[in-house]
Amino acid sequence: MNTNDRDDLRERLRELDATPAEMAAWTPLVRRLAEWPEKHITQASQRHLLSVLEQAMPLHSAVRQAIREQKPRRVTALLATARAQVSLFGLGFWLVSALITLVGAVVVLRIITMGPDQAWVLPALVLRISGPLLSYLGTIVAFRGRGTRVLELELVCLSSPLQLALARLVIVLGYDVGLGLALSLLLWAGGSGQVLALTLSWLMPLLLVAGLALLLSLRLDIRIAASLAYGSWLAFVGISAIPTFQTLLLTPALLVLPGGIGLAGLTIALLRMHAGMHRLLPQS
Amino acid sequence: MQRLSDEQLLEKVIAGEMAALALLVERYQPVLTGYLDRLVGSDWALAQDLAQETFLRVLRQHATRGNRPFKSWLYAIATNLARDHFKSSAARLSTPLEAEHEVWIRDEVPGPEEYILRGEQRSALVDALNLLGMEYRTTLWLRFYGDLSLQEIADALGIPLGTVKWRLSTGLRRLRSLLASSADTYC
Repeated sequence: MNTNDRDDLRERLRELDATPAEMAAWTPLVRRLAEWPEKHITQASQRHLLSVLEQAMPLHSAVRQAIREQKPRRVTALLATARAQVSLFGLGFWLVSALITLVGAVVVLRIITMGPDQAWVLPALVLRISGPLLSYLGTIVAFRGRGTRVLELELVCLSSPLQLALARLVIVLGYDVGLGLALSLLLWAGGSGQVLALTLSWLMPLLLVAGLALLLSLRLDIRIAASLAYGSWLAFVGISAIPTFQTLLLTPALLVLPGGIGLAGLTIALLRMHAGMHRLLPQS
Repeated sequence: MQRLSDEQLLEKVIAGEMAALALLVERYQPVLTGYLDRLVGSDWALAQDLAQETFLRVLRQHATRGNRPFKSWLYAIATNLARDHFKSSAARLSTPLEAEHEVWIRDEVPGPEEYILRGEQRSALVDALNLLGMEYRTTLWLRFYGDLSLQEIADALGIPLGTVKWRLSTGLRRLRSLLASSADTYC
């Protein structure tokens, strides 16, 4: 027994409030306890124990395991997930979206034919209504699973719920924004001087409706949430059409505001959705 | 992963990480089996079985740990298992160590390890420990072999700190007196 061991032993006995006489009497006794022959665990017995324990390891759902094992995805992986989700939307969605865009195209062509100096308030109003209509439809279709128990099936795949939500937003917003930008390009090619204002007039409400719809969907059925979001925007457009409010509500600064609100809504909704979906994962 | 605490490793085990379990086993299997071996009176095979059962309970009943430190909880399981073992086989265990001694005496060709085990002094210590009573034996081994602090022992056995101190000092006092009387007998 070295000095450290002796000191340690003395300290241990002192902890017991032992008198010096007791300490002197107990020290050899504790040393005898320490002399118990040490047997050793062999590698084989450790392997055997681990093999037995492996059978009893806590079982987790394949979903949770897959999410845990998944390495951080890159943008390409997210796009690949988005591509895999395209089939969820169905032909109807693409056709209706294209039809709405076609209406926008007709409006844009009308602006071009009227010339940049002509009044463009009415066409802009049409764009302001049709732009967010795309996100209204897209949100309903993309997140319809939240109300129809498709969520459980969505969880049984490698991608996490957040990645799925992001992938769908990439599809919906990407498609809608793509269509809208094509319209803006048409405006620009036609020499319209109001390209930025017209682009903002569909892009900002589109973001607003998408953001509000997702945010409200945390508490309401997705169809009700999307309808409320789109309805609110229509109400806003209706009020802003009244001449008294027109100059007040349609200033350039206020055109950007809905987009900002929409982006904030999208961010909050995605974060909340992520946390909420994880609570729905199997707990075993 | 080596630097992770026992509790962090257990979290990983619960999450299904086999590597974390291997590390916990590596940390605790030798000392836990040694503790159980002492507690059951030098029966290495039984101690290994009880250690295995302890780890199985760690996996199956991890939810019952609550906020207790892993080490205390592990020893609590092991101690309860040993206690249950004694209770369930009371008749067989009434003289387990004496039976073992008989084998030592009758075995005429002992191996080198058995030869050491047969030392008279150790035999007296084993006898004295056996007479001491389970609660004292447990406390003594947890402190002087398992290297648990007084508080950890209190947590493991679910008794107040004062009781731990009392059991240790009384255990040592009784053990000394038992060994002294056995020495008188031999002389």
